[in-house]
Amino acid sequence: MGDKNFNLPPGFRFYPTDEELVVHFLQRKAALLPCHPDVIPDLDLYPCDPWELDGKAMAEGNRWYFYSRKTQNRVTGNGYWKPLGADEPIFTSGSKEVGTKQYYVFYVGEESAGVKTNWVMQEYRLSDSGSSSSTRSSRRRGNPKVDYSKWVLCRVYESEEDDDNGPELSCLDEVFMSLDDLDEVSFPN
Amino acid sequence: MSEDMNLSVNGQSRVPPGFRFHPTEEELLHYYLTKKVASEKIDLDVIRDVDLNKLEPWDIQEKCKIGSTPQNDWYFFSHKDKKYPTGTRTNRATAAGFWKATGRDKVIYSSFRRIGMRKTLVFYKGRAPHGQKSDWIMHEYRLDETTHDTSANSLAGVDSVTEEGWVVCRVFKKKNYNKALESPQCSSTSADIRTQLRHMSTTDGVLDQILHYMGRSCKQEITQTINTNIDTAMLYLPSINATIDTLQDRFTHLPRLEHNNDSPFNQDNSTAFPEQGSGGSCSDTNPRDGLSDWVALDRLVASQLNGQDDTSKHLYPDDDFCFSVDHEDAQVSNLRSNRSQPSQAYGSEIDLWSFVQRSPSSSSSDPLGHLSV
Repeated sequence: MGDKNFNLPPGFRFYPTDEELVVHFLQRKAALLPCHPDVIPDLDLYPCDPWELDGKAMAEGNRWYFYSRKTQNRVTGNGYWKPLGADEPIFTSGSKEVGTKQYYVFYVGEESAGVKTNWVMQEYRLSDSGSSSSTRSSRRRGNPKVDYSKWVLCRVYESEEDDDNGPELSCLDEVFMSLDDLDEVSFPN
Repeated sequence: MSEDMNLSVNGQSRVPPGFRFHPTEEELLHYYLTKKVASEKIDLDVIRDVDLNKLEPWDIQEKCKIGSTPQNDWYFFSHKDKKYPTGTRTNRATAAGFWKATGRDKVIYSSFRRIGMRKTLVFYKGRAPHGQKSDWIMHEYRLDETTHDTSANSLAGVDSVTEEGWVVCRVFKKKNYNKALESPQCSSTSADIRTQLRHMSTTDGVLDQILHYMGRSCKQEITQTINTNIDTAMLYLPSINATIDTLQDRFTHLPRLEHNNDSPFNQDNSTAFPEQGSGGSCSDTNPRDGLSDWVALDRLVASQLNGQDDTSKHLYPDDDFCFSVDHEDAQVSNLRSNRSQPSQAYGSEIDLWSFVQRSPSSSSSDPLGHLSV
């Protein structure tokens, strides 16, 4: 992934929103349109353990991104992905539903008897309504054979690394801020 | 080449979809601020110059936006003005309020070499000393004067004394997990899943709540206790990071007030309390029954801080509530093994690490030695 930063200056990183993942990446992939930027590799049905993704999937920080063929079999070499909760709809900023996101947790061991890990996968799918706009655009390009159900886009991370919501205060910062509230404990400044 | 200097060309953002400006502290200091101080050209005009006295925090997001993508944090260069011509204090007042420094400055390292400092400031509306605290936080980074003779000067070739007024700042809004969860924009499923995932992870949000309760119930004691504990903590530098993580870990698993106890993660005690077996700290208290609400936690904290550790004995056999170093062996290896890239942990890094990387003698004998002047 050497050229993934497109000559962007230091500090730019791949932190896509849900909408971007669905609209800019998954829809275009499904419509067989060239993805720009073409950074997310297609691992097809390769059953990777999450720690094997490094070097295969696109890595940004401690998150890995890859396309996969849609499958019901999420068993890997050393474990399996188990769904967590229900599908979560993905809306565009115009409140149009374009896809869904399903969470999975990785278990090590035999299916139904595995040990839970803190590896989490978010699997993005296109929803039927979301594919209609792509259908139009692909039809314009004379490509009627588009299978929207074929691809999913996955983001894998260890849950304690899930700090995608921008900067945070450190533990100690919070303590000091709380002290400010109490008694104006001030240090020389 | 000249068009490279602009973030957008003909209204189109030059930042490809999915990419955000998320610089590390090292990048902010070593690349951006060093270039700024040296008056070098910076590719893409990502960090603007801002007159902090003329800009309210809520206007910063418009002024400092990068492309059209949603942002959680904003960056700018600012030139520090002295409040009084002869003094060293900085004037950070705006029309609507003022930025007030909080805590101690954090030393920023690059490959174990000290390169700069980070100051944390909070925006207060109104006028000192009666300002009203807001959720706006600023991290102000400055280059370390001691490094000017090495990195900055060799790169910049300028007189550091005349340019030391430039700082690079990151502004963001403090997160409030309760608000986020109650927000109508969050669908119930997504909020529920996030709650569940949060129970698997360590976050600062719960600590926020703990501090809130601590502050309410015991004002004086907490001040003394925390100061004492920080002093104590400096003697146990290598284990602090792990222990604070552990502390957070424990509280992260406490039920939230609004949290539904039927979630699968609460039923799964073995996962929610991984240290139960090794540390033995929760052995005689069922975590679900023993701490079923914040009132119980309130009592626990209050009793601990008053030195009556009857309740806490059950949960924390070691007396040192805040920065205990027992159990460390069992947990350090666990926690460390998950930390593959230290640079990724910048955002959540504990400030006390700055002491670790100083020499042990100076950190224990002179704990305030590196405060800013």
